[in-house]
Amino acid sequence: MSYAYLFKYIIIGDTGVGKSCLLLQFTDKRFQPVHDLTIGVEFGARMITIDGKQIKLQIWDTAGQEAFRSITRSYYRGAAGALLVYDITRRETFNHLTTWLEDARQHSNSNMVIMLIGNKSDLESRREVKKEEGEAFAHEHGLIFMETSAKTAANVEEAFINTAKEIYEKIQEGVFDINNEANGIKVGPQHSPTNPSLSPNGQDRGQGGGCC
Amino acid sequence: MSTSRRRSASEAARPSTRCSTSPTTRGRAPHQCGPTLRSSGVPAVFQRPGDALRCHHAATQVERLVERVQCSTLLEDRRDACRALKALSKQNRVEVGAQGMDALCQVLDLDRADSEIVAYALDALCNVMSPDTFDEEEHPTAYQGSKSSLGEQFTEIFMKQPDNIGLVLGFLEEYEFQVRWPALKLLTSLIHNRPRDLQEIILVSPMGVSKLMDLLGDNREVIRNDALILLTHLTKGNANIQKIVAFENAFDRLFDVIADEGYADGGIVAEDCLVIVHNLLKNNTSNQNFFKEGSYIQRLSPMFALPSNTEEIGWSSQKVTNILSSLQVVRMLVMPGNPAQVTSSCQRTIRNSGILEALCGILMASGVPVEVLTETINAVAEVIRGNPSNQEYFLTVMAPCKPPRPALVVLLLSMVNEKQPLELRCSVLYCFQCYLYKNEVGQAQLVQTLLPSSAEVGTGTTGHLLVSGLLSGHMLSTWLSAVALSHALVENPAQKEQLLRVALATAPGANPVSLLHQCCTMLEQSNKVQSKVGILMLLAMWLSHCPLAVRELLSTPSSIPYLTAQVGASEHQEHEELLQGLCAFLIGICVTFNDDSVPSYTRENLCQLISKRVGQDMFLDKLGEVSKHELYSKAHKHPQLQASSQEQLLLDHEFCKLFKALEGMVIKAVTPKEAGMHNGGTELTLTATESSLLLQYKELIRSQDYQLQEMHQKLQQYESERQAYQAHVEELNATISQLRDQTRLLSAAANTGVTNSLSSDIEHLSIAPQEDTIRSAEVETELDRLRKDQEDLLVLLADQDAKLNTYKDRLRQYGEKVESDEETDIQNGGEC
Ligand SMILES: Nc1nc2c(ncn2[C@@H]2O[C@H](COP(=O)(O)OP(=O)(O)O)[C@@H](O)[C@H]2O)c(=O)[nH]1
Ligand SMILES: [Mg+2]
Repeated sequence: MSYAYLFKYIIIGDTGVGKSCLLLQFTDKRFQPVHDLTIGVEFGARMITIDGKQIKLQIWDTAGQEAFRSITRSYYRGAAGALLVYDITRRETFNHLTTWLEDARQHSNSNMVIMLIGNKSDLESRREVKKEEGEAFAHEHGLIFMETSAKTAANVEEAFINTAKEIYEKIQEGVFDINNEANGIKVGPQHSPTNPSLSPNGQDRGQGGGCC
Repeated sequence: MSTSRRRSASEAARPSTRCSTSPTTRGRAPHQCGPTLRSSGVPAVFQRPGDALRCHHAATQVERLVERVQCSTLLEDRRDACRALKALSKQNRVEVGAQGMDALCQVLDLDRADSEIVAYALDALCNVMSPDTFDEEEHPTAYQGSKSSLGEQFTEIFMKQPDNIGLVLGFLEEYEFQVRWPALKLLTSLIHNRPRDLQEIILVSPMGVSKLMDLLGDNREVIRNDALILLTHLTKGNANIQKIVAFENAFDRLFDVIADEGYADGGIVAEDCLVIVHNLLKNNTSNQNFFKEGSYIQRLSPMFALPSNTEEIGWSSQKVTNILSSLQVVRMLVMPGNPAQVTSSCQRTIRNSGILEALCGILMASGVPVEVLTETINAVAEVIRGNPSNQEYFLTVMAPCKPPRPALVVLLLSMVNEKQPLELRCSVLYCFQCYLYKNEVGQAQLVQTLLPSSAEVGTGTTGHLLVSGLLSGHMLSTWLSAVALSHALVENPAQKEQLLRVALATAPGANPVSLLHQCCTMLEQSNKVQSKVGILMLLAMWLSHCPLAVRELLSTPSSIPYLTAQVGASEHQEHEELLQGLCAFLIGICVTFNDDSVPSYTRENLCQLISKRVGQDMFLDKLGEVSKHELYSKAHKHPQLQASSQEQLLLDHEFCKLFKALEGMVIKAVTPKEAGMHNGGTELTLTATESSLLLQYKELIRSQDYQLQEMHQKLQQYESERQAYQAHVEELNATISQLRDQTRLLSAAANTGVTNSLSSDIEHLSIAPQEDTIRSAEVETELDRLRKDQEDLLVLLADQDAKLNTYKDRLRQYGEKVESDEETDIQNGGEC
């Protein structure tokens, strides 16, 4: 199927917070309570519509364990969006956000849109992290924030789609250099940029620091 | 021998590290690092008598250069020495490698700002670690006795320091050709010599893979092409690297290069790209999904577009290779071992993108080299396997001959043609099997062409070709046709009964004989193992779960005597055990699926016959021979026949599956019925529907088995989680008791503190009674403060208690008993 844009996402966060479940809920609309521990990285994809345009999301679900951290880092650079996930029933996953964020900021391109996700909102009785705390953290670090449940699917669509909207807006504003694939954005085959704001002679093109 | 050589090489390299350990040693007097580098550093084994002098000369020359590189304070001097080392690194590879390795690595580290000296060092290292031997090398055969080459041994030494790889990777970011290129070549040598190690190091070096991928954007073709070569090695068998490479837009870049190179007409560069694509997809579901989702299947399709004048221009060997690689890529996506969901969606896309059509075009084109034809048939096979719509399409493909004929018929013609190459005939069988796989309609259509009522009956139909192949008397044709025919019966009780209606006119005027009868006759008369095995497998497939077919065989007078005789006989022919096992299996099937309608061969009678003629134990032994055969497990594992010679064509995949499914049932059926076996009697007289029901139940049991396993795994996971929680609770308990101790200590301290100050107050009182009111007020506040402290601590403790209770609850949720004495403990704690 043809698309106007293709965005690459990565999903990061401690192990067990529900990254793989979020991806599965988004791509297959189902919840699988027990599945394999993600080893390295797994891929998933889905088409969404924003502003009447078909947008293809390609999503790489990473393994949270420390052992895979150096592998995960290879994925920051080429991603347009990142879902940074913690588990609202486990405070330590919230406490680790700073480390994740530092890692992401250090290795990604500066325009990468990061969505902070407090997952497992269905487990209200076991909540350890207040929604306000998530909001405050997001606000402080300039992230978008949402609480989701991969189990009930609450807000899952929204999390992925709102991230895409943010990226889309950045493209409209000319913040992203869409011709540089290293940004994790591709223009669809039949959709060469005709949008005036994306014209190649606009002065808002990214610096495109390619080596050659 | 080899180890001592290797040791001597590394020992020679090691001493010089003394000089390179710290940059501050640089510039010290040469003798500080000089004396450690003696000509003894060159392994004595390299020195042949006649060479001794020259060798010694080279060694001292290298020694002096190394010293200058390491110790000279002047960059220019180091540079000159490094250039000279580079110049010697082919001819005196052993000396430069053994003595100069550390010095050269030191240059990469300390002199990295000077691209000229770096370039010399990289070049020299390239030569030292090259997997090739140079013409001018002085001791090209020095390491012949060792199992690893000189390049490999130096690579091992070089890679003992993983930092070295980081340095080389860093030089890839240098745009200057004279640096980037040798860095790339060096990595290529390294990966050639120690692929696994280098993969792991690159994987964990920051952005290691990404740096390599960036080279594909280099507009200097040499660099890009060499980067492609490096990637062909780097992507082999390492899933994590494969995924990163794919993430870095490898497929886009590779297909861009392939397109630039002219697709199938491209040169070796196109081939390299295809090899990388293949590597990226091999056993990598994540990348397969990505490939499909990224619409890269469509980008493969121009590979298979044959120009109309192909026949005139012919096939270059490069083009053959390119097409073969592309076919491998296609097969990677639809291999029988892939997850079903990946395979079926790729099959759909391959069809929709026109690739299946293009492949069928190659099948029917003339002048196609046989290896391309064979691999195309295999690819078509897997693209249609188990996919109804693709199978249906395949049936409609017509060959462009004078009266147009179905491609399927043309292919089968090649299969039963003794002049065709073995691989081609096997691939046709595989394709036919895949066409019939889970294809009830196709199975029915095939059998239909053999039935008397059919208008289509006659020569040139698929069924007719197979039957004439079966009867041809050529053992390979017989085997291939028997197997092909048996696939029309797989899990299809209706066709087993239909096929019973097929009758053959063996001689003009003679009464027609049934196909099954004819199979029995051929079995008895043939003296060729391969033919017999083929027919026995066909009969086993046919008779299983089909009492009507069993009855037909039992009514063929000589068949049972023949089979029992075979099981017991020992004629010492080739594969005798296998043949006997197959005969035993067929008898077993006759017992198992017997409806007792042939009076002389009821189940009862047959069992007695086995006991009398063969013996129970012997029978079971022979039965066991089938799965013990060397070809069994391979055939059971993979649907495609992998035969390098005709002799290896004996067991078929579907037959092995059948054998595995029925072996237990057969054993049970022929074993004497003891107590409790009378109800087994009903199980053994199964009608077709009953036995298919039985099959369903078996399937159910199998899936339940699987679920059970899954649950078991889950349980294990929970257990380990529970243990983690337990540990956590214990930790919390420890914290609590610590806090409790602290509280006690604090309250004790508070008490004594109060008395002390009180007693001193009394003294003060006697001295200064007027101050007593002020004093007591002070004591009061002090006491208050302490009380407040204690209260805070108690609150903290209560907090911990609450947490502990939560964890206990959670533990209880996980089904763990929590001891009650903890609770009394906590109460005690609350009181103090
Ligand atoms: N109740 C609930 N459980 C969840 C949710 N998301 C994930 N889980 C569970 O959390 C565990 C870890 O999920 P997983 O997706 O493997 O986490 P990952 O390591 O981040 O990929 C699994 O047992 C899931 O069933 C959720 O939204 N609600
Ligand atoms: Mg996971």
